[in-house]
Amino acid sequence: MTGATLLLRQIHPSFVQAGRVTSQAFRPTPKDAGLLSVYDGDMIAPPAAWDHYTRVLALASVGAMGVTADECAAVGLTARPDPEPFPEHAVIDYTGLADREVEKRGKKLKARADDRGWLYQAPPPA
Amino acid sequence: MDSEPFLKPRLTGPRFDGHAIPLDVLADLAVLEQMVVEVAKWKYREANPARKRVPRGFADGLSLKLTGVEDGSAVPVISLFVAASSLLPPSSQAFFAEARSAIVGAIGAAEQGGRITDHLPPRLLGYFDRLGRSLQDGEAIEFADPAAAGPARLTQATRHTLVRASAADEYTDAVVLVGTVPEVDQQNKTFHLRLPDGSKVKAPLTAQHFDTVLEVFNNYAAGLRARMSASGRFNLANRLQGIESVEHMSVLDPLDVAARLDELRQLRHGWLDGKGVAPPAAGLDWLASAFDRHYPDDVPLPYLYPTAEGGVRAEWPLKPHEVSLEIDLAGRRGDWHALNLADDGEAEATLPLDDPGAWAWLVGELRRLAGAGA
Repeated sequence: MTGATLLLRQIHPSFVQAGRVTSQAFRPTPKDAGLLSVYDGDMIAPPAAWDHYTRVLALASVGAMGVTADECAAVGLTARPDPEPFPEHAVIDYTGLADREVEKRGKKLKARADDRGWLYQAPPPA
Repeated sequence: MDSEPFLKPRLTGPRFDGHAIPLDVLADLAVLEQMVVEVAKWKYREANPARKRVPRGFADGLSLKLTGVEDGSAVPVISLFVAASSLLPPSSQAFFAEARSAIVGAIGAAEQGGRITDHLPPRLLGYFDRLGRSLQDGEAIEFADPAAAGPARLTQATRHTLVRASAADEYTDAVVLVGTVPEVDQQNKTFHLRLPDGSKVKAPLTAQHFDTVLEVFNNYAAGLRARMSASGRFNLANRLQGIESVEHMSVLDPLDVAARLDELRQLRHGWLDGKGVAPPAAGLDWLASAFDRHYPDDVPLPYLYPTAEGGVRAEWPLKPHEVSLEIDLAGRRGDWHALNLADDGEAEATLPLDDPGAWAWLVGELRRLAGAGA
C-alpha cells in the first residue's frame, strides 16, 4: 500500500438517498471498533471488490467509492493492510478519537470521495 | 311524483362539521339506491317463494334522491321517489322499507359481533365494498335502528367485517402509495408502481395522469417517485392486489421527508450487515409529525438516512458547510454538527427536539448557512 493507493469503501443501499451518500459511510459504526473496512485498490479493482462483497461475503452494497491513503493521512487518519479476513482487506483507523473528531474526519473523507465520484455502481434492480 | 323521507344517516367526524358532506362520501352513498332495490327484490322473493322472479316493473319509476342536509354533524336526507306512472303497487313499497331494515340490521350486527347473514345474504353484502369506502379514521355513518337501543354505525372496521362476510374474495379501499414507475404498458394502458418494500402493484393508465406517470417512468433510474391516491383492491387477508382507479397522482420531491421516513420503516433489525437496529415506527411517526409542524417550505430539505443504532440522521450539503443532525428517536434529541470544509470551522449543539424553540433555532441556522453559501 502506498499513499496513492485507492481504498475502496462499499456503500450500503440505505446510505444513499437521491444519489447522495451519507458521510456515515466513511466513519466506523459501533460494531467496527473504530476500524473502517475498505478494499486495497492496488490488489483488487472496484467491480471485483463489489462482486466479492456482495457474492462471497453476501453483504449489501450499491457500489464503491474511494479515498487514497494520502487523503486519509491529510485528515489525521492512518490506513493499513488487514489481510486476516481476506487478502485485499484494509482498514482506516479511527480508534482513540472522540465522537466529534470521528464526525469531522468522516465528513472530510466523504468530501474527498465525492470529488472522485463513484468508482463502481451496481446495476439498478430489475 | 310522490316522495317520502327514506333514510337520514348521520355522518360523524371532523370532515362533516357545519353540515358539510365531501363529494367522495356522496359518491359512496350513491350505491344505496342500487343496493336498496336489490335487497327489496330479495325480500320479495323470500316472501313469495313460489314466484320465480319479481313482478315486471318492480322498481321502475323508483329512485332515491338527496333532498336536504340537516344539522347534527351532517345528516343527508335521502327520500324515496315513486313516479306517478310507476307500475309499483303500494303493497310492494313495504319491501323497500324491509330492505332498509335489513341493511341497517346487517350494519348493526357487524358492529355488535352478531350474525350478519341473519339480515342479508353474502352476495348482497358485496355492496358494502362501495358504501362507506371513503370514510376516514374517526368517521362513521350512523343509521337509526328502531330494533336496537342505539344507531348502527358504519365505520371502516364494520365495513371490512361486512365485506369479509360477503361472497366477494376482494374488497376496495382508499390508499395513498409512494413509489417509482419501472413499467408502462401503453398498449394495455396500465403501469406498475414499485413500492418501498420492493413489491409492484398494477394500476390503470388514464389520460389525466399520463404525463405524470411518463415523467416518473422516464426518471426511474434516478429514483424519481410519485405519490398516488387511489382505490386499491385488497384480498381478504388485507393484502393489496391491485389498483382499481387512480384519483390523484403527483411527482414527489426526491427529498420528501414523509416518503423517505416511510422507506426507513421497511428496515428490519440487522439491516446493516446483520447489526443495524431498525428505527422504531413510533419514533418515525413522531419525527414525520415534527417536520410537518416545525419545518417551513423555504428551508432546504434534508437528506435522511438510518443510523446503525436505530436513529435517523439528517444531512444538509450547504457548501462550504456539511451539516448533520443525528436524531435519537427514543430520546427525541438531536446532535447538531456543522463543519466548514473550507476553513475547518465547526459548531455543535444538542437540541431537545420536543421543544419548538429547538426547531426554530435549527431552521434559523439552516437559513443562515444556506444564505451564506448562496
